[in-house]
Amino acid sequence: MALLEVRDLSVTYSPRDADTVRAVDGVSFEVHDGEFVGLLGESGCGKSTLGNAVLRLLDKPAAITGGTITFDGKDITSTSEDDLRSLRWVDLSTVFQSSMNSLNPVITIRSQFADTFEAHDNDVDVDDRAGELLEMVSLDRSVLGRFPHELSGGMKQRVALALALALEPRFVLLDEPTTGLDVVVQRDILDRLRVLQARLGFAVLFISHDLGTVMELADRVMVMYAGELVEDQPAAEMVTRHLHPYSAGLLGSYADPRDEIVEVEFIPGRPPDLSQSHAGCLFQPRCPVAVDRCRTVHPDLLPAGRGQVRCLLVEESVGDRAVLDKAAALRHRDQVFAAGPSALADADPVLVVEGISKIYRTRRGLTTTVTTAVDDVSFALRPGQVTALVGQSGSGKTTIARMLTGVERPTAGSIRFKDAPVDHLRRRALRKYRRHVQLVFQDPFSALNPTRTVAYALSRPLRNHLGLSGAEARARAGELLETVGLSPAAQYLDKLPHQLSGGQRQRVVIARALAPEPEVVIADEPISMLDVSIRAEIIALLDALVRDRGIAMLYITHDLLSARLLADEVMVLNEGVMVERGPTLQVIGEAKDPYTRKLLAAIPRPGASGTPVVARGDTEMGAESA
Amino acid sequence: MTILWRNSKCRAGMIMLAAFILIAVFAAVIAPYGPRVSDFGASEGPSGAHWLGTTARGEDVFSQLVYGARTSLIVGLVAGVLSTLIAMAVGLTAGYLRGVVDEVLSFFINLGLVVPVLPLMVVLAGYAPVKGLGLIIVVITVTGWAYGARIKRAQIITLRTRDYITAAKFAGDSTARIIAFEIVPNMISLIVVGFMGAALGAIGAEAGLAFLGLGDPQTVSWGTMLNQASLGGALTTGQWAWLVAPGLVLALLITSFTLMNFGIDALSNPHLRED
Repeated sequence: MALLEVRDLSVTYSPRDADTVRAVDGVSFEVHDGEFVGLLGESGCGKSTLGNAVLRLLDKPAAITGGTITFDGKDITSTSEDDLRSLRWVDLSTVFQSSMNSLNPVITIRSQFADTFEAHDNDVDVDDRAGELLEMVSLDRSVLGRFPHELSGGMKQRVALALALALEPRFVLLDEPTTGLDVVVQRDILDRLRVLQARLGFAVLFISHDLGTVMELADRVMVMYAGELVEDQPAAEMVTRHLHPYSAGLLGSYADPRDEIVEVEFIPGRPPDLSQSHAGCLFQPRCPVAVDRCRTVHPDLLPAGRGQVRCLLVEESVGDRAVLDKAAALRHRDQVFAAGPSALADADPVLVVEGISKIYRTRRGLTTTVTTAVDDVSFALRPGQVTALVGQSGSGKTTIARMLTGVERPTAGSIRFKDAPVDHLRRRALRKYRRHVQLVFQDPFSALNPTRTVAYALSRPLRNHLGLSGAEARARAGELLETVGLSPAAQYLDKLPHQLSGGQRQRVVIARALAPEPEVVIADEPISMLDVSIRAEIIALLDALVRDRGIAMLYITHDLLSARLLADEVMVLNEGVMVERGPTLQVIGEAKDPYTRKLLAAIPRPGASGTPVVARGDTEMGAESA
Repeated sequence: MTILWRNSKCRAGMIMLAAFILIAVFAAVIAPYGPRVSDFGASEGPSGAHWLGTTARGEDVFSQLVYGARTSLIVGLVAGVLSTLIAMAVGLTAGYLRGVVDEVLSFFINLGLVVPVLPLMVVLAGYAPVKGLGLIIVVITVTGWAYGARIKRAQIITLRTRDYITAAKFAGDSTARIIAFEIVPNMISLIVVGFMGAALGAIGAEAGLAFLGLGDPQTVSWGTMLNQASLGGALTTGQWAWLVAPGLVLALLITSFTLMNFGIDALSNPHLRED
């Protein structure tokens, strides 16, 4: 008997002033003792709702509307809160996406552990047991005496993991536990998790949209789309012999940046509106191989390969792979983005940076701390070319961006835009300069004013910098939206940001940056907050815009795959010093700096032979906790 | 608006306030006599002709009560609007510009917060060369803006670092435009709450000053009624209605504002919405 059995589970959101949404629809699965199961899907596919339903954490207006959840032979679908309390944390525990913030800021780490033991009448020596748990997640025992604000994000997440394991639960739900952390830190935590899971033998349900990571960690992978499971396969099978076209699309977003030719695929379109009922297969509108029958017949989750698949074509076909081979052939038409040949033509640079440094002095009492954020960095941006700036959090990437845009002035060195010295511009001149240098932000959710329409956001730079009238600006805003692939534009102009998806918002942000016809665009991790499946789409858009319009772009990132796809030149920054610089393929292919190598190792490569996951857990957190 | 209406507490408050406004607007129709008509017997108890009795000077208490609603609402509205405007101007400027400007303005905000309000109001109202409703409004405004300014400054400090503000700067917008078009719409619920608080304080302050005898004796307000009831020995003559009625309506008006605030909280914080 399985540890966790979910049968036909449905969850419905019934908000007061909107249609009801079937977020989870008839999902059935099992998790066995000690099994590591991954649950994959795009944002909004219902994976977190499913996770919360399993833990019985759903709040109004969501409610379980059908099916059962059985844990260890006991039906917990409608157990009372009081009875659940004895089960929670002892048998079922969790690490949430934001669990960095789940630590109580006013008590020490030791007290947080003590509370946990006390709440469940666990008579143990707190220092002893908690210290042991911390060592398990590679933290020093001294962390016990510290407060949450004294720890880094990665350390807090480790503490959250140690807390989740404190009572030796049999099942742990991990809901995107490393989102928001530096890639290298993410990697370390996940590797550690896998080692612990193998040693302690708890079962894991790991929710993520990052398919590469899931495939590497999990024993079995379930793919969710629009509230339904569409595929369920052992992880190894999923990599090489996945059957559903959606899984294929998700897998296509990965590639090894060191390859000679790098290609990534994306799935165009958006998930269906779950407040409406759909007759056929829910994936049909986005499916490259859909046939007429897919429009009318809703497929069931049926055994196929070594797992289960929900696809009519797989049901009918003789050879399982026939469907996907066809899909791959079709996809190559318009859903593939390949890194182009990097043409390092020596156009005249528009922006030249020479030996800039930035030193921050902070005075606390009598002692002055001197921090060198950026140390003697030089480079040039040329029209029609992308220069990637790669580095860890805190390596000085953002400081460089701030100096280039004139927000801060360098302590030493000079920045020249054509003939104008950027580091000496004053108010009025700075405002003029910003017409030529525009920003694309990281977080599409905070980059657009929630109270202003798309048309307003786009018309401001047009009216200020280009002096267009209201009507002209609106017409031009429409053209810009078409340029970034939001068409028909009329449909988007009067929308507020919250009515758009993350990818659409990012397109609007890009359109706004293009509005004043800038010569330099600085993109600060423009895809890191987006779903993996739409990242390639945005990269392709940026690439096309840069080449067509002859824009010089500084692309700030810590994602080497996207740098490889987009950039002509890569610079690696470590602690404010430029450690590597050169043509993309050369820097990535022959990485010399230890940090660049670490970044490369952190890129998930589902199905890559060799390197077993566990062996890579040797990059311990020494550096971080020191 | 629908969110406000849906909240049952807020709905009750809105209905109560609407009733007060209607009474104030149609005071001349509703009140049986003029507020200053003193043709009746002095200090009479409640009767069919005078529902709440008459004052020591022979005026109808019910009529005074109806006209008094005008004073309270006008003071609440005007002083509330004025102190909200001052609070916005000072708070937004200080919070957005930071630096020296912030230091200077924060000093004045802090000054406004630490100065004991009641004695200041008493001094201003007592020694001012002019009397009348205008003076009361000015006094209340001058003493009541600091708290709102402090809250708005705190809010704008968190809003000014948002990416969309940076984007507006890069779009070439001026500082004034950024504050008015990008920031203010995002703190509208805070501004409304601030206004309600200021209006509430103003109504209470007006009643308080009038009760202390610092109001304009020519104006009919609930505060002056309380003052006169107390001076006219309402308790000794057993005229409980003269004393209780103005206090009760004052409490009801303040309650209606408080109830509405529940709904406005829900507007700014979806977690507080009651399903």
